[in-house]
Formats: sequence, C-alpha cells, structure tokens
Amino acid sequence: MRTSTVASSRSQPPGWSGRTERAVGALTVAVLLAAWELAGRAGVLSAYHFPEPSRLAATIWDLVVVGFPVGVTVWQHVGATAARIVQGYVLAAVLAIPLGLVVGGVRALDQASAPIITFARSVATISLLPLAVAWFGVGELSRVLLIAYGCSWVILTNVIEGVKSVDEELIRAGRMLGSTPRQLFTRVVLPASTPRIFAGMKVALGLAFMVIVGVEMIGTIKGLGALIMEARTFYRSDAAMVGMVFIALFGFALSRLLDRLERVLLPWSGSLEEVER
Amino acid sequence: MSGPAAAPKIVVSHVSRQFPADEPERGLALQDIKLTVIPNEFVCVVGRSGCGKTTLLNLIAGLLRPTEGEVLIDGRRVEGPGPDRGMVFQYSALFPWLTALENVEFGPRNLGVPRNQRRALALELIDLVRLRGFESKYPRELSGGMKQRVAIARALATDPEVLLMDEPFGALDELTRAEMQEELLRIWEARRKTVVFVTHSIMEAIYLSDRVVILSPHPGRVRKDVRIAMPRPRQRSSTEFMAYYEDIHSSIF
Repeated sequence: MRTSTVASSRSQPPGWSGRTERAVGALTVAVLLAAWELAGRAGVLSAYHFPEPSRLAATIWDLVVVGFPVGVTVWQHVGATAARIVQGYVLAAVLAIPLGLVVGGVRALDQASAPIITFARSVATISLLPLAVAWFGVGELSRVLLIAYGCSWVILTNVIEGVKSVDEELIRAGRMLGSTPRQLFTRVVLPASTPRIFAGMKVALGLAFMVIVGVEMIGTIKGLGALIMEARTFYRSDAAMVGMVFIALFGFALSRLLDRLERVLLPWSGSLEEVER
Repeated sequence: MSGPAAAPKIVVSHVSRQFPADEPERGLALQDIKLTVIPNEFVCVVGRSGCGKTTLLNLIAGLLRPTEGEVLIDGRRVEGPGPDRGMVFQYSALFPWLTALENVEFGPRNLGVPRNQRRALALELIDLVRLRGFESKYPRELSGGMKQRVAIARALATDPEVLLMDEPFGALDELTRAEMQEELLRIWEARRKTVVFVTHSIMEAIYLSDRVVILSPHPGRVRKDVRIAMPRPRQRSSTEFMAYYEDIHSSIF
C-alpha cells in the first residue's frame, strides 16, 4: 500500500522531499474523508454508526459554543482532563524518579523490589477503579491517584533500568578522574540515565491517556472521558467521536511537547530504542 | 631517558589476581607479575587476548585489587583509582552528555579547580591534541580518532605523571591508527609522562615503546621483556624493526 509506506517515510522514491511526502499524506486523508462523506450521504453508512465528517464538524462547533452536556463546553472538558493528567503524572514522576534512582543504585533493593514491581505493573490500572472509589471516594482524588498509579510503575521501571545500565566504562572513567562517590552519582550516573528516564516518561504519558478515559467514566460530567460516556448514554456517536478526536489531538500535542523538551534538554542524545513498557 | 639510578615510577611487585568462579574472566588471570617502569618510560604490554594485559592495567589503575602482591606508584601502594594516573580506554569512554571541552574539564572540576582556570587548562589541552574548533561538539559528533584525542586530553587534564592506555587505538582504522601513534609520541615528548600502553599489535608496540613486555596466557605471566633500542622516528619497514618483530612474534606464538 502506497499510503502506509509514504507515512512511515521508508523506501521513498528518489527525489521525494519531506514536503511532497506531507502533501501526499494530506491528500490521502482528504480523499478518505471525501469518500466517507459521500458514502454517508448516499446512505451506505448509517448516521448513527458512522456520522459523516460534515456532521462531525457541526458537532465540534456545537461543543465549542453550546457544550455537551449543555453548558459544559469542550474547553472545560479539555481543561478538566488536563488538570487530572498533569496532577497524576507529576505526582508519579515526583515519587517514582527519586525512588527509582535509589532502588537502581542498591542491588539488594532492586532484587527485593523486582517481583513487587513486576506484579504491580501488570495490574491493569482501570481494574483498580472500584477499590480506589472505596478507599478515596468518587471524587478527584481517586482519579488523580489512579493516573499516578498507572504512570509511576513505568517510570519507576525505566529509572531503575536507566541507573543499572549505565556503561561500566563511564563509571571507571569517572573514578579515575577523581570523582567522590557523590560526584560519581550526580556527574556520571544521573546524567547517563536521563535518556532512559525520559523514555519512561513518554511511555507513562501514553498510559495516562489510557487511564484518564476510564476514570472519567464515573462520577463526573467534566472531562473528555465523561463527554464520551455521556454521548453514549444519549446515543450521540457523533459527540463520542469528537471526544475521541480531542483526546487524540491533546495526547499528540503533549507527546510532541515532550519530544521538543527532550531535544532541548538532551541535545547530546540520539533517539533511544529500548524502552521498558 | 632517565638513567638507571632514577627511582622507579611504577613497581608491580609479585602481583597475582584471581577472579571468582562466577565472573566471566574467572580463574587465575595473572600470576606473580614483576614489572618496574622508570619515570618517562614508554612501556607496551602485548600478548594474546586473555593473557591478562587489561587486568594488569586495571591493577595499576587501582580499578582492581591484586589477590597477592602490591602495586606501588612512587613507592606508595595503590589503594584505588585516582587522578594521579590518567586512563585512556579502548572505546574512549567519553561522557556523551558533555562537550569535548567539558569532558576535558571533568577531572579538574571534581578536584575543585575554579571555572576559569579549568577552562583555560582544557582549551590548552584541546590545542595540544589539535582539536581547536571542535571543543563544543558532543562525542557522538566526533570521529573515532577525534574521540580518542579528547580522551587523551581528558586523561592529561589532572596532570597525572602516569598515563595508562588500554588498546586506545584498537578500534580505529589503520590510517587513523598510524596517525594517532604519531600524535601520541608527539604528546608524550611534549609532556613527558610515564606510559603503560596495552595493545595486541606487535607493530604498534615496537613503533611506540622503549620496552615491550610480553605476557603469556593462562595464567598471565611475564614471558619476555624486550628493550627497543631504536631512535625515533622509527621506520616500520627497516630490517631492525622486522628483527624485533620476529623476536617478539616468536615468543608469543
């Protein structure tokens, strides 16, 4: 398939610039949208299952101006979701990064904690929702804590791996150059683990977006997850789709932001391939 | 060269090193090694892989402890790694998050040398290894030969009297390697260091050193100690050079 190879930028014909590639990508999307629209109008696709693009555009406008449920605009949904994600994500990072640095640096701690971490990481975060509600109620606290839970294990694992996989030669070089144990940690181990820590943070962000939709499905009408849930209740698949699109755009924007941040903060690092998921 | 009366710089005295059975280099790596290096001497250690030459270097560096015997620098026992010995690793071991200049500054910074002073020192060393113009590049932007130039400058930055080099040019292509050998001799002559240089290349050892120490494997022992009495610069194609080559080669194989 021409379209998929173009999008992944591999095996492009000689002479193709990035601009041509983007143009082809945009054209493909435009053609697909047009076909969808035509199929909807011709009655091939039902409006309930596949509301056509023009209808979705109207829904977006409706969500921005009137809101859904009435009075709650899409910006309020985005704002509520963003607040929860940021709080949960930051909480996870603040807890997991220092903890990971310690655990990764002490062999006994690493061995002792490995089974716990493996188990805790395998628990699908959403399955903890009933427990979280029992412990912390149906309010914001439960939602933020669940996001933090989902993110923290991935961050923790990657920080530990980052510390453990610091090149032994760099440590030797650091010791030969007169580093005290403290300097060895702050000037060698810590900077050497940052690409891996960053990689963990990126995976965690993706997880936060998976968790958020689930935790917003009960006890609130604000948030993109709540929007989707309300849409389902009122058979508004158009609103559900728009909610989905907003989550995707929002997630995409945040991960681009992280990529930018990484390039600014770690200009020395190439892209890192191996990431613990 | 210093006369025979000079006090030895490095003394490796009856050193053995046994590795635990669960480590990759298990067993007796070195047995009863005796080696004396005088100040400003350039000594190459050669031998087949697994003969313990890197282990010997790590013992002098203090990165490993001997199971028996001791290593003395200026008569003082080596208890651990330290900036009085500069080390150059095979794969440069530059800190990838630091620029070339910052890598060179790393040692002085640990020792608390003020910023301006260590910057000036690092720039001087960057000049010495002929990397002016590349000081703000990160290691991944440098070629293999350039990385080793930075690594040499970094090792010199704490002004050690001893330079330990672990196959530093082993990963370079042949032309770069020959160029780096010239450069190392030039730097050695400019700075007068005591050098212990590990290599598996006999040609490299003869070209560079005052003495070639040949180790035999399993367990590592000193098999032969050959003084290279040729003036520098040396001609790799001379009959004298080839005679040394034959001599050393036949004692390894």
